[in-house]
Amino acid sequence: MREEIVTMLLQGIGETLYMSVFATLFGYVIGLPWGVALCITGKNGIKRNSGIYFVLDVIANIMRSIPFLILMIMVIPLTIAIVGQSYGSTATIVPLVISAAPMIARMVESSLVEVDAGEIEAVQSMGAGTGWIILHVLLGEGRVSLIAGATISFATILGYSAMAGTLGGGGLGDIAIRYGYHRYDTQIMIITVVLLVVLVQIFQGLGTWVGKKSDKR
Amino acid sequence: MAIVEVKNLSKTFDAAGGTTTALNHINLSIEEGDVFGIIGMSGAGKSTLVRCLNLLEVPTEGQVIVEGKDLTALTNKELREERGRIAMIFQSFNLLQQKNVISNVCVPMMIQGKKKSEAKKRAKELLELVCLQDKARSYPSQLSGGQCQRVAIARALASDPKILLCDEATSALDPQTTNQILDLLKEINQKLKITIIIITHQMSVVQKICNRVAIIDHGEIAEMGEVEEIFTHPKSQAGRVLVIDGTQEVGTSDRQKAVELLKEKKRIRIVFSKNSSYEPVIANMVLAVGKPVNILKADTQDVGGVARGQMILGLPDDADAQEKMIAYLKDHNLAVEEVQA
Repeated sequence: MREEIVTMLLQGIGETLYMSVFATLFGYVIGLPWGVALCITGKNGIKRNSGIYFVLDVIANIMRSIPFLILMIMVIPLTIAIVGQSYGSTATIVPLVISAAPMIARMVESSLVEVDAGEIEAVQSMGAGTGWIILHVLLGEGRVSLIAGATISFATILGYSAMAGTLGGGGLGDIAIRYGYHRYDTQIMIITVVLLVVLVQIFQGLGTWVGKKSDKR
Repeated sequence: MAIVEVKNLSKTFDAAGGTTTALNHINLSIEEGDVFGIIGMSGAGKSTLVRCLNLLEVPTEGQVIVEGKDLTALTNKELREERGRIAMIFQSFNLLQQKNVISNVCVPMMIQGKKKSEAKKRAKELLELVCLQDKARSYPSQLSGGQCQRVAIARALASDPKILLCDEATSALDPQTTNQILDLLKEINQKLKITIIIITHQMSVVQKICNRVAIIDHGEIAEMGEVEEIFTHPKSQAGRVLVIDGTQEVGTSDRQKAVELLKEKKRIRIVFSKNSSYEPVIANMVLAVGKPVNILKADTQDVGGVARGQMILGLPDDADAQEKMIAYLKDHNLAVEEVQA
Protein backbone atom coordinates (compact mmCIF):
# COMPACT_ATOMS: atom_id res chain seq x y z
CA MET A 1 0.00 0.00 0.00
CA ARG A 2 1.24 3.47 -0.78
CA GLU A 3 2.75 5.38 2.04
CA GLU A 4 0.51 8.39 1.66
CA ILE A 5 -2.58 6.22 2.02
CA VAL A 6 -1.23 4.79 5.25
CA THR A 7 -0.55 8.29 6.51
CA MET A 8 -4.03 9.33 5.49
CA LEU A 9 -5.62 6.39 7.29
CA LEU A 10 -3.59 7.04 10.42
CA GLN A 11 -4.65 10.65 10.34
CA GLY A 12 -8.24 9.45 9.87
CA ILE A 13 -8.00 7.26 12.95
CA GLY A 14 -6.57 10.18 14.90
CA GLU A 15 -9.38 12.49 13.82
CA THR A 16 -12.07 9.91 14.53
CA LEU A 17 -10.72 9.32 18.02
CA TYR A 18 -10.32 13.07 18.59
CA MET A 19 -13.94 13.71 17.66
CA SER A 20 -15.35 10.71 19.55
CA VAL A 21 -13.38 11.25 22.75
CA PHE A 22 -14.14 14.96 23.03
CA ALA A 23 -17.75 14.56 21.95
CA THR A 24 -18.22 11.84 24.61
CA LEU A 25 -16.49 13.99 27.20
CA PHE A 26 -18.56 17.12 26.52
CA GLY A 27 -21.60 14.91 26.02
CA TYR A 28 -21.17 13.71 29.62
CA VAL A 29 -20.60 17.25 30.87
CA ILE A 30 -24.17 17.96 29.74
CA GLY A 31 -25.72 14.47 29.80
CA LEU A 32 -24.57 13.35 33.26
CA PRO A 33 -26.23 16.16 35.25
CA TRP A 34 -29.21 15.90 32.91
CA GLY A 35 -29.52 12.16 33.60
CA VAL A 36 -29.09 12.69 37.34
CA ALA A 37 -31.83 15.32 37.24
CA LEU A 38 -34.11 12.95 35.31
CA CYS A 39 -33.46 10.24 37.88
CA ILE A 40 -34.04 12.28 41.02
CA THR A 41 -37.07 14.20 39.74
CA GLY A 42 -38.60 11.04 38.25
CA LYS A 43 -41.43 8.96 39.64
CA ASN A 44 -39.46 7.19 42.36
CA GLY A 45 -36.76 9.82 42.69
CA ILE A 46 -35.52 11.43 45.89
CA LYS A 47 -36.60 14.91 44.72
CA ARG A 48 -39.72 14.02 42.84
CA ASN A 49 -40.86 16.94 40.70
CA SER A 50 -43.12 16.05 37.82
CA GLY A 51 -42.87 19.54 36.29
CA ILE A 52 -39.09 19.54 35.97
CA TYR A 53 -39.10 15.90 34.91
CA PHE A 54 -41.64 16.61 32.17
CA VAL A 55 -39.55 19.43 30.71
CA LEU A 56 -36.27 17.45 30.78
CA ASP A 57 -38.03 14.40 29.42
CA VAL A 58 -39.65 16.21 26.50
CA ILE A 59 -36.43 18.01 25.53
CA ALA A 60 -34.56 14.69 25.54
CA ASN A 61 -37.22 13.07 23.38
CA ILE A 62 -37.32 15.89 20.86
CA MET A 63 -33.54 16.07 20.52
CA ARG A 64 -33.24 12.34 20.20
CA SER A 65 -35.80 12.12 17.43
CA ILE A 66 -33.95 14.49 15.08
CA PRO A 67 -31.84 12.43 12.64
CA PHE A 68 -28.17 13.17 13.13
CA LEU A 69 -27.42 14.40 9.62
CA ILE A 70 -30.32 16.86 9.74
CA LEU A 71 -29.25 18.01 13.19
CA MET A 72 -25.74 18.63 11.84
CA ILE A 73 -27.12 20.96 9.20
CA MET A 74 -29.54 22.62 11.61
CA VAL A 75 -26.83 23.58 14.07
CA ILE A 76 -24.38 24.97 11.50
CA PRO A 77 -24.92 28.56 12.69
CA LEU A 78 -24.19 27.50 16.25
CA THR A 79 -21.13 25.54 15.11
CA ILE A 80 -19.79 28.58 13.29
CA ALA A 81 -20.45 30.73 16.33
CA ILE A 82 -18.50 28.36 18.60
CA VAL A 83 -15.73 27.00 16.38
CA GLY A 84 -15.57 29.60 13.61
CA GLN A 85 -16.17 27.18 10.74
CA SER A 86 -18.70 24.50 9.84
CA TYR A 87 -16.39 21.77 8.51
CA GLY A 88 -13.49 19.76 9.93
CA SER A 89 -13.13 17.55 12.99
CA THR A 90 -13.39 20.25 15.64
CA ALA A 91 -16.54 21.66 14.07
CA THR A 92 -18.11 18.18 14.00
CA ILE A 93 -17.75 17.89 17.76
CA VAL A 94 -20.52 20.48 18.23
CA PRO A 95 -23.37 18.52 16.57
CA LEU A 96 -21.95 15.31 18.01
CA VAL A 97 -22.26 16.71 21.54
CA ILE A 98 -25.75 18.04 20.89
CA SER A 99 -26.83 14.70 19.57
CA ALA A 100 -25.04 12.64 22.22
CA ALA A 101 -26.08 14.59 25.33
CA PRO A 102 -29.76 13.53 25.42
CA MET A 103 -28.79 9.94 24.63
CA ILE A 104 -26.24 10.02 27.45
CA ALA A 105 -28.85 11.56 29.76
CA ARG A 106 -31.12 8.59 29.05
CA MET A 107 -28.28 6.12 29.59
CA VAL A 108 -27.40 7.76 32.90
CA GLU A 109 -31.04 7.87 33.97
CA SER A 110 -31.57 4.17 33.28
CA SER A 111 -28.36 3.29 35.16
CA LEU A 112 -29.30 5.35 38.19
CA VAL A 113 -32.91 4.27 38.55
CA GLU A 114 -31.58 0.72 38.91
CA VAL A 115 -29.75 1.63 42.12
CA ASP A 116 -31.40 -0.22 45.01
CA ALA A 117 -34.03 2.00 46.64
CA GLY A 118 -33.20 0.31 49.96
CA GLU A 119 -29.63 1.60 49.86
CA ILE A 120 -30.91 5.12 49.26
CA GLU A 121 -33.42 4.77 52.09
CA ALA A 122 -30.67 3.54 54.41
CA VAL A 123 -28.46 6.60 53.89
CA GLN A 124 -31.51 8.86 54.11
CA SER A 125 -32.21 7.33 57.50
CA MET A 126 -28.68 8.37 58.49
CA GLY A 127 -29.41 11.96 57.55
CA ALA A 128 -27.76 12.11 54.12
CA GLY A 129 -28.77 15.06 51.95
CA THR A 130 -29.47 15.03 48.23
CA GLY A 131 -25.89 15.89 47.22
CA TRP A 132 -24.42 13.11 49.31
CA ILE A 133 -26.88 10.59 47.95
CA ILE A 134 -26.15 11.57 44.33
CA LEU A 135 -22.40 11.46 44.78
CA HIS A 136 -21.97 8.37 46.92
CA VAL A 137 -25.02 6.24 46.36
CA LEU A 138 -26.40 6.97 42.88
CA LEU A 139 -23.07 7.50 41.12
CA GLY A 140 -21.06 5.27 43.45
CA GLU A 141 -23.39 2.29 43.46
CA GLY A 142 -24.46 2.77 39.85
CA ARG A 143 -20.92 3.04 38.54
CA VAL A 144 -20.74 -0.39 36.86
CA SER A 145 -23.86 0.34 34.87
CA LEU A 146 -22.62 3.89 34.18
CA ILE A 147 -19.38 2.53 32.75
CA ALA A 148 -21.29 0.11 30.55
CA GLY A 149 -23.45 3.02 29.39
CA ALA A 150 -20.39 5.15 28.66
CA THR A 151 -18.96 2.36 26.52
CA ILE A 152 -22.15 2.11 24.48
CA SER A 153 -22.32 5.91 24.17
CA PHE A 154 -18.73 6.07 22.95
CA ALA A 155 -19.29 3.42 20.28
CA THR A 156 -22.45 5.17 19.12
CA ILE A 157 -20.69 8.55 18.94
CA LEU A 158 -17.86 6.92 17.00
CA GLY A 159 -20.43 5.70 14.50
CA TYR A 160 -21.99 9.19 14.27
CA SER A 161 -18.58 10.74 13.73
CA ALA A 162 -18.14 8.50 10.70
CA MET A 163 -21.51 9.69 9.43
CA ALA A 164 -20.36 13.27 9.95
CA GLY A 165 -17.59 12.51 7.48
CA THR A 166 -20.10 12.72 4.66
CA LEU A 167 -20.53 16.42 5.40
CA GLY A 168 -16.83 17.18 5.50
CA GLY A 169 -16.31 16.21 9.10
CA GLY A 170 -12.96 14.49 8.65
CA GLY A 171 -11.96 11.16 10.14
CA LEU A 172 -12.41 7.66 8.80
CA GLY A 173 -15.97 8.31 7.60
CA ASP A 174 -14.71 11.16 5.47
CA ILE A 175 -12.09 8.90 3.88
CA ALA A 176 -14.63 6.15 3.26
CA ILE A 177 -16.94 8.56 1.43
CA ARG A 178 -14.30 10.38 -0.58
CA TYR A 179 -12.24 7.40 -1.67
CA GLY A 180 -14.61 4.50 -1.36
CA TYR A 181 -17.76 6.10 -2.68
CA HIS A 182 -16.82 8.99 -4.93
CA ARG A 183 -13.74 7.28 -6.44
CA TYR A 184 -15.10 3.74 -6.43
CA ASP A 185 -12.07 2.55 -4.42
CA THR A 186 -13.64 -0.44 -2.69
CA GLN A 187 -10.38 -1.47 -1.04
CA ILE A 188 -10.04 1.77 0.92
CA MET A 189 -13.69 1.69 1.88
CA ILE A 190 -13.31 -1.82 3.29
CA ILE A 191 -10.14 -0.85 5.15
CA THR A 192 -11.87 2.11 6.82
CA VAL A 193 -14.82 -0.06 7.80
CA VAL A 194 -12.50 -2.67 9.28
CA LEU A 195 -10.64 0.05 11.17
CA LEU A 196 -13.92 1.35 12.60
CA VAL A 197 -14.91 -2.16 13.65
CA VAL A 198 -11.54 -2.67 15.35
CA LEU A 199 -11.83 0.67 17.17
CA VAL A 200 -15.29 -0.16 18.47
CA GLN A 201 -14.10 -3.63 19.53
CA ILE A 202 -11.13 -2.21 21.43
CA PHE A 203 -13.21 0.34 23.31
CA GLN A 204 -16.04 -2.09 23.99
CA GLY A 205 -13.53 -4.59 25.38
CA LEU A 206 -11.85 -1.90 27.45
CA GLY A 207 -15.18 -0.71 28.84
CA THR A 208 -16.30 -4.20 29.75
CA TRP A 209 -12.98 -4.90 31.46
CA VAL A 210 -13.04 -1.69 33.51
CA GLY A 211 -16.67 -2.33 34.44
CA LYS A 212 -15.93 -5.83 35.64
CA LYS A 213 -12.87 -4.68 37.55
CA SER A 214 -14.84 -2.06 39.46
CA ASP A 215 -17.78 -4.30 40.30
CA LYS A 216 -17.66 -5.51 43.91
CA ARG A 217 -21.08 -7.13 44.00
CA MET B 1 -40.34 11.33 79.87
CA ALA B 2 -40.96 9.12 76.90
CA ILE B 3 -38.12 9.06 74.39
CA VAL B 4 -40.49 8.55 71.47
CA GLU B 5 -44.03 9.78 71.48
CA VAL B 6 -46.43 9.34 68.62
CA LYS B 7 -49.53 11.48 68.79
CA ASN B 8 -52.59 10.96 66.69
CA LEU B 9 -50.54 9.82 63.71
CA SER B 10 -52.26 9.04 60.43
CA LYS B 11 -50.87 8.22 57.04
CA THR B 12 -52.86 7.87 53.85
CA PHE B 13 -51.57 7.03 50.41
CA ASP B 14 -53.08 8.22 47.18
CA ALA B 15 -53.55 5.24 44.96
CA ALA B 16 -55.44 4.60 41.78
CA GLY B 17 -59.08 4.43 42.73
CA GLY B 18 -59.00 6.47 45.93
CA THR B 19 -56.87 6.85 49.02
CA THR B 20 -55.83 4.02 51.29
CA THR B 21 -55.33 4.57 54.98
CA ALA B 22 -52.15 2.88 56.12
CA LEU B 23 -52.19 4.26 59.64
CA ASN B 24 -55.23 5.51 61.46
CA HIS B 25 -54.77 7.78 64.50
CA ILE B 26 -51.94 5.95 66.18
CA ASN B 27 -50.86 6.89 69.68
CA LEU B 28 -47.71 5.38 71.14
CA SER B 29 -45.29 6.17 73.87
CA ILE B 30 -41.93 4.45 74.17
CA GLU B 31 -39.79 4.87 77.25
CA GLU B 32 -36.04 5.28 77.27
CA GLY B 33 -34.33 1.90 77.54
CA ASP B 34 -37.31 -0.03 76.21
CA VAL B 35 -37.05 -2.83 73.71
CA PHE B 36 -40.38 -2.09 72.14
CA GLY B 37 -41.98 -4.51 69.71
CA ILE B 38 -44.45 -3.53 67.03
CA ILE B 39 -46.04 -6.67 65.69
CA GLY B 40 -48.63 -7.22 63.04
CA MET B 41 -49.42 -9.25 59.98
CA SER B 42 -48.22 -8.15 56.58
CA GLY B 43 -50.14 -5.14 55.38
CA ALA B 44 -51.03 -4.06 58.91
CA GLY B 45 -49.04 -0.84 58.51
CA LYS B 46 -46.06 -1.60 60.73
CA SER B 47 -43.40 -0.74 58.16
CA THR B 48 -45.14 2.55 57.42
CA LEU B 49 -45.29 3.24 61.15
CA VAL B 50 -41.56 2.70 61.70
CA ARG B 51 -40.78 4.90 58.69
CA CYS B 52 -42.87 7.64 60.23
CA LEU B 53 -40.67 7.52 63.33
CA ASN B 54 -37.73 9.01 61.41
CA LEU B 55 -39.92 10.73 58.86
CA LEU B 56 -38.79 8.61 55.92
CA GLU B 57 -42.54 8.65 55.43
CA VAL B 58 -44.08 12.00 56.18
CA PRO B 59 -47.25 11.54 58.24
CA THR B 60 -50.46 12.91 56.78
CA GLU B 61 -51.54 13.95 60.24
CA GLY B 62 -50.22 13.91 63.79
CA GLN B 63 -46.89 14.34 65.52
CA VAL B 64 -43.77 12.29 66.13
CA ILE B 65 -41.92 13.57 69.16
CA VAL B 66 -38.42 12.21 69.70
CA GLU B 67 -36.51 13.34 72.78
CA GLY B 68 -38.91 16.22 73.18
CA LYS B 69 -38.55 17.46 69.58
CA ASP B 70 -41.47 17.35 67.20
CA LEU B 71 -39.90 15.92 64.04
CA THR B 72 -42.75 17.09 61.85
CA ALA B 73 -41.94 20.69 62.77
CA LEU B 74 -38.21 20.56 61.98
CA THR B 75 -36.57 22.06 58.91
CA ASN B 76 -34.92 19.69 56.45
CA LYS B 77 -31.48 20.38 57.86
CA GLU B 78 -32.56 19.92 61.48
CA LEU B 79 -34.33 16.70 60.53
CA ARG B 80 -31.18 15.32 58.87
CA GLU B 81 -29.19 16.08 62.00
CA GLU B 82 -31.83 14.47 64.20
CA ARG B 83 -31.75 11.33 62.05
CA GLY B 84 -28.22 10.78 63.24
CA ARG B 85 -29.73 9.99 66.63
CA ILE B 86 -32.29 7.56 65.21
CA ALA B 87 -30.49 4.71 63.47
CA MET B 88 -32.23 2.06 61.43
CA ILE B 89 -31.58 -1.47 60.22
CA PHE B 90 -33.51 -3.27 57.52
CA GLN B 91 -34.74 -6.69 56.43
CA SER B 92 -32.56 -6.61 53.33
CA PHE B 93 -29.60 -5.02 55.20
CA ASN B 94 -29.26 -2.24 52.59
CA LEU B 95 -25.48 -2.10 52.70
CA LEU B 96 -23.74 -0.24 49.90
CA GLN B 97 -22.71 -3.13 47.66
CA GLN B 98 -19.78 -1.33 46.02
CA LYS B 99 -18.16 -0.35 49.31
CA ASN B 100 -16.27 -2.69 51.61
CA VAL B 101 -17.35 -3.44 55.15
CA ILE B 102 -15.31 -0.77 56.90
CA SER B 103 -16.36 1.92 54.41
CA ASN B 104 -19.97 0.93 54.97
CA VAL B 105 -19.57 1.37 58.71
CA CYS B 106 -17.97 4.77 58.05
CA VAL B 107 -20.96 6.01 56.00
CA PRO B 108 -22.93 7.71 58.82
CA MET B 109 -19.75 9.38 60.06
CA MET B 110 -18.89 10.62 56.57
CA ILE B 111 -22.41 12.04 56.30
CA GLN B 112 -21.87 13.82 59.60
CA GLY B 113 -18.59 15.18 58.26
CA LYS B 114 -16.23 13.40 60.63
CA LYS B 115 -12.54 13.13 59.79
CA LYS B 116 -11.69 10.04 57.77
CA SER B 117 -9.03 8.80 60.20
CA GLU B 118 -11.35 9.21 63.18
CA ALA B 119 -14.17 7.45 61.35
CA LYS B 120 -11.93 4.51 60.43
CA LYS B 121 -10.82 4.14 64.04
CA ARG B 122 -14.37 4.18 65.36
CA ALA B 123 -15.48 1.78 62.61
CA LYS B 124 -12.82 -0.70 63.69
CA GLU B 125 -14.08 -0.59 67.29
CA LEU B 126 -17.65 -1.15 66.11
CA LEU B 127 -16.62 -4.11 63.96
CA GLU B 128 -15.01 -5.61 67.03
CA LEU B 129 -18.27 -5.14 68.92
CA VAL B 130 -20.13 -7.17 66.29
CA CYS B 131 -17.24 -9.68 66.01
CA LEU B 132 -16.40 -8.94 62.38
CA GLN B 133 -13.03 -7.23 62.71
CA ASP B 134 -11.47 -9.74 60.31
CA LYS B 135 -13.99 -8.88 57.56
CA ALA B 136 -13.17 -5.17 57.37
CA ARG B 137 -11.86 -5.41 53.80
CA SER B 138 -14.53 -7.79 52.52
CA TYR B 139 -17.44 -6.68 50.37
CA PRO B 140 -21.07 -7.32 51.37
CA SER B 141 -21.52 -9.84 48.54
CA GLN B 142 -18.88 -12.02 50.20
CA LEU B 143 -20.72 -12.17 53.54
CA SER B 144 -23.60 -14.30 54.80
CA GLY B 145 -26.95 -12.76 55.73
CA GLY B 146 -26.16 -12.78 59.42
CA GLN B 147 -22.79 -11.14 58.84
CA CYS B 148 -24.41 -8.48 56.64
CA GLN B 149 -26.89 -7.67 59.39
CA ARG B 150 -24.01 -7.38 61.88
CA VAL B 151 -22.30 -4.89 59.57
CA ALA B 152 -25.60 -3.02 59.29
CA ILE B 153 -25.82 -2.93 63.10
CA ALA B 154 -22.25 -1.65 63.38
CA ARG B 155 -23.09 0.98 60.76
CA ALA B 156 -26.24 1.96 62.65
CA LEU B 157 -24.25 2.44 65.85
CA ALA B 158 -21.63 4.61 64.14
CA SER B 159 -23.59 7.80 64.61
CA ASP B 160 -23.95 7.17 68.37
CA PRO B 161 -27.73 6.93 68.17
CA LYS B 162 -30.13 6.97 71.11
CA ILE B 163 -32.74 4.96 69.26
CA LEU B 164 -32.40 1.98 66.95
CA LEU B 165 -35.27 1.12 64.61
CA CYS B 166 -35.32 -2.46 63.32
CA ASP B 167 -37.55 -3.08 60.32
CA GLU B 168 -38.05 -6.86 60.08
CA ALA B 169 -34.34 -7.09 60.78
CA THR B 170 -34.36 -10.86 61.29
CA SER B 171 -37.00 -11.88 58.79
CA ALA B 172 -34.49 -12.83 56.10
CA LEU B 173 -32.39 -14.92 58.49
CA ASP B 174 -32.54 -18.52 59.63
CA PRO B 175 -33.68 -19.24 63.22
CA GLN B 176 -30.17 -19.71 64.62
CA THR B 177 -28.83 -16.52 63.04
CA THR B 178 -31.99 -14.73 64.16
CA ASN B 179 -31.19 -15.69 67.73
CA GLN B 180 -27.62 -14.43 67.42
CA ILE B 181 -28.79 -11.10 66.03
CA LEU B 182 -31.43 -10.78 68.76
CA ASP B 183 -28.80 -11.50 71.41
CA LEU B 184 -26.62 -8.81 69.90
CA LEU B 185 -29.50 -6.32 69.93
CA LYS B 186 -30.24 -7.15 73.55
CA GLU B 187 -26.59 -6.58 74.41
CA ILE B 188 -26.66 -3.22 72.63
CA ASN B 189 -29.79 -2.25 74.53
CA GLN B 190 -28.26 -3.11 77.88
CA LYS B 191 -24.64 -2.04 77.43
CA LEU B 192 -25.07 1.05 75.28
CA LYS B 193 -28.45 2.07 76.74
CA ILE B 194 -29.99 2.40 73.29
CA THR B 195 -33.76 2.26 73.03
CA ILE B 196 -34.74 -0.33 70.45
CA ILE B 197 -37.93 -0.44 68.43
CA ILE B 198 -38.52 -3.71 66.62
CA ILE B 199 -40.96 -4.26 63.78
CA THR B 200 -41.75 -7.90 63.21
CA HIS B 201 -44.42 -10.37 62.26
CA GLN B 202 -42.92 -13.07 64.51
CA MET B 203 -44.20 -13.38 68.06
CA SER B 204 -41.07 -15.36 68.94
CA VAL B 205 -38.92 -12.28 68.28
CA VAL B 206 -41.06 -10.14 70.58
CA GLN B 207 -41.02 -12.83 73.26
CA LYS B 208 -37.28 -13.17 73.11
CA ILE B 209 -36.16 -9.59 73.55
CA CYS B 210 -38.99 -7.09 73.93
CA ASN B 211 -40.32 -5.81 77.23
CA ARG B 212 -43.27 -3.96 75.73
CA VAL B 213 -45.27 -4.60 72.62
CA ALA B 214 -47.93 -2.97 70.48
CA ILE B 215 -50.08 -5.09 68.23
CA ILE B 216 -51.02 -3.29 65.05
CA ASP B 217 -53.90 -4.39 62.87
CA HIS B 218 -55.34 -2.64 59.82
CA GLY B 219 -53.49 0.54 60.61
CA GLU B 220 -54.64 0.74 64.21
CA ILE B 221 -53.18 -0.28 67.54
CA ALA B 222 -55.19 -3.32 68.59
CA GLU B 223 -53.56 -3.55 72.00
CA MET B 224 -50.41 -2.53 73.78
CA GLY B 225 -48.67 -3.40 77.01
CA GLU B 226 -46.09 -5.60 78.75
CA VAL B 227 -45.06 -8.58 76.64
CA GLU B 228 -45.70 -11.02 79.47
CA GLU B 229 -49.21 -9.70 79.97
CA ILE B 230 -50.16 -9.70 76.31
CA PHE B 231 -48.70 -13.11 75.72
CA THR B 232 -50.62 -14.56 78.62
CA HIS B 233 -53.93 -12.82 78.00
CA PRO B 234 -54.21 -11.46 74.49
CA LYS B 235 -57.44 -9.47 74.37
CA SER B 236 -57.76 -8.35 70.77
CA GLN B 237 -58.61 -10.59 67.85
CA ALA B 238 -55.30 -9.73 66.13
CA GLY B 239 -53.45 -10.36 69.38
CA ARG B 240 -55.01 -13.78 69.77
CA VAL B 241 -54.16 -14.77 66.22
CA LEU B 242 -50.55 -13.66 66.61
CA VAL B 243 -50.04 -15.19 70.03
CA ILE B 244 -51.91 -18.44 69.62
CA ASP B 245 -50.74 -19.06 66.09
CA GLY B 246 -47.40 -18.08 67.50
CA THR B 247 -44.36 -19.03 65.58
CA GLN B 248 -46.02 -20.26 62.46
CA GLU B 249 -46.77 -18.01 59.52
CA VAL B 250 -50.16 -16.49 60.07
CA GLY B 251 -52.94 -17.19 57.64
CA THR B 252 -52.39 -20.39 55.76
CA SER B 253 -51.57 -23.10 58.20
CA ASP B 254 -52.03 -26.76 57.57
CA ARG B 255 -51.57 -27.30 61.25
CA GLN B 256 -54.60 -25.18 61.98
CA LYS B 257 -56.61 -27.46 59.72
CA ALA B 258 -55.28 -30.53 61.47
CA VAL B 259 -56.34 -29.08 64.79
CA GLU B 260 -59.85 -28.51 63.49
CA LEU B 261 -60.14 -32.14 62.45
CA LEU B 262 -59.56 -33.39 65.95
CA LYS B 263 -62.65 -34.36 67.83
CA GLU B 264 -62.22 -32.80 71.28
CA LYS B 265 -64.74 -30.07 71.85
CA LYS B 266 -63.18 -28.59 74.95
CA ARG B 267 -59.85 -26.95 74.36
CA ILE B 268 -57.73 -24.91 76.70
CA ARG B 269 -54.67 -22.82 76.21
CA ILE B 270 -52.15 -22.79 79.00
CA VAL B 271 -49.33 -20.34 79.28
CA PHE B 272 -46.07 -21.09 81.00
CA SER B 273 -44.77 -17.86 82.46
CA LYS B 274 -42.01 -16.99 84.90
CA ASN B 275 -44.10 -18.32 87.79
CA SER B 276 -44.34 -21.80 86.38
CA SER B 277 -42.78 -24.51 88.47
CA TYR B 278 -40.16 -26.89 87.25
CA GLU B 279 -41.92 -30.20 86.87
CA PRO B 280 -43.50 -32.27 84.11
CA VAL B 281 -46.85 -30.70 84.85
CA ILE B 282 -48.94 -32.11 81.98
CA ALA B 283 -47.79 -35.67 82.63
CA ASN B 284 -48.48 -35.30 86.35
CA MET B 285 -51.92 -33.89 85.66
CA VAL B 286 -52.81 -36.86 83.48
CA LEU B 287 -51.61 -39.25 86.19
CA ALA B 288 -53.56 -37.37 88.86
CA VAL B 289 -56.84 -37.22 86.94
CA GLY B 290 -56.46 -40.59 85.26
CA LYS B 291 -57.71 -39.44 81.83
CA PRO B 292 -55.61 -38.67 78.74
CA VAL B 293 -55.37 -35.30 77.02
CA ASN B 294 -54.49 -34.48 73.47
CA ILE B 295 -51.66 -31.99 72.94
CA LEU B 296 -52.83 -29.99 69.94
CA LYS B 297 -50.04 -27.51 69.94
CA ALA B 298 -46.97 -27.02 72.06
CA ASP B 299 -44.59 -24.16 71.72
CA THR B 300 -42.35 -23.97 74.73
CA GLN B 301 -38.74 -23.20 75.33
CA ASP B 302 -36.46 -23.63 78.25
CA VAL B 303 -35.53 -20.32 79.82
CA GLY B 304 -33.23 -20.68 82.80
CA GLY B 305 -34.57 -24.13 83.67
CA VAL B 306 -38.23 -23.09 83.57
CA ALA B 307 -40.55 -23.84 80.70
CA ARG B 308 -41.85 -20.73 78.93
CA GLY B 309 -44.37 -20.62 76.15
CA GLN B 310 -47.76 -22.08 75.50
CA MET B 311 -49.68 -25.30 74.88
CA ILE B 312 -53.12 -26.01 73.55
CA LEU B 313 -54.73 -29.14 75.01
CA GLY B 314 -57.80 -31.02 73.90
CA LEU B 315 -59.54 -32.23 77.08
CA PRO B 316 -61.58 -35.43 77.44
CA ASP B 317 -65.37 -35.00 77.04
CA ASP B 318 -66.02 -35.96 80.66
CA ALA B 319 -67.00 -32.67 82.40
CA ASP B 320 -65.77 -33.82 85.79
CA ALA B 321 -62.30 -34.63 84.42
CA GLN B 322 -62.21 -31.30 82.62
CA GLU B 323 -62.89 -29.41 85.82
CA LYS B 324 -60.29 -31.37 87.73
CA MET B 325 -57.66 -30.76 85.07
CA ILE B 326 -58.25 -27.01 84.93
CA ALA B 327 -58.12 -26.83 88.71
CA TYR B 328 -54.90 -28.83 88.73
CA LEU B 329 -53.24 -26.49 86.22
CA LYS B 330 -54.38 -23.40 88.07
CA ASP B 331 -52.96 -24.84 91.27
CA HIS B 332 -49.63 -25.00 89.51
CA ASN B 333 -49.63 -21.30 88.67
CA LEU B 334 -50.42 -21.73 85.02
CA ALA B 335 -52.67 -19.30 83.20
CA VAL B 336 -55.53 -21.28 81.69
CA GLU B 337 -58.15 -20.11 79.24
CA GLU B 338 -60.62 -21.77 76.98
CA VAL B 339 -60.08 -21.42 73.25
CA GLN B 340 -62.68 -21.65 70.55
CA ALA B 341 -62.65 -24.62 68.24
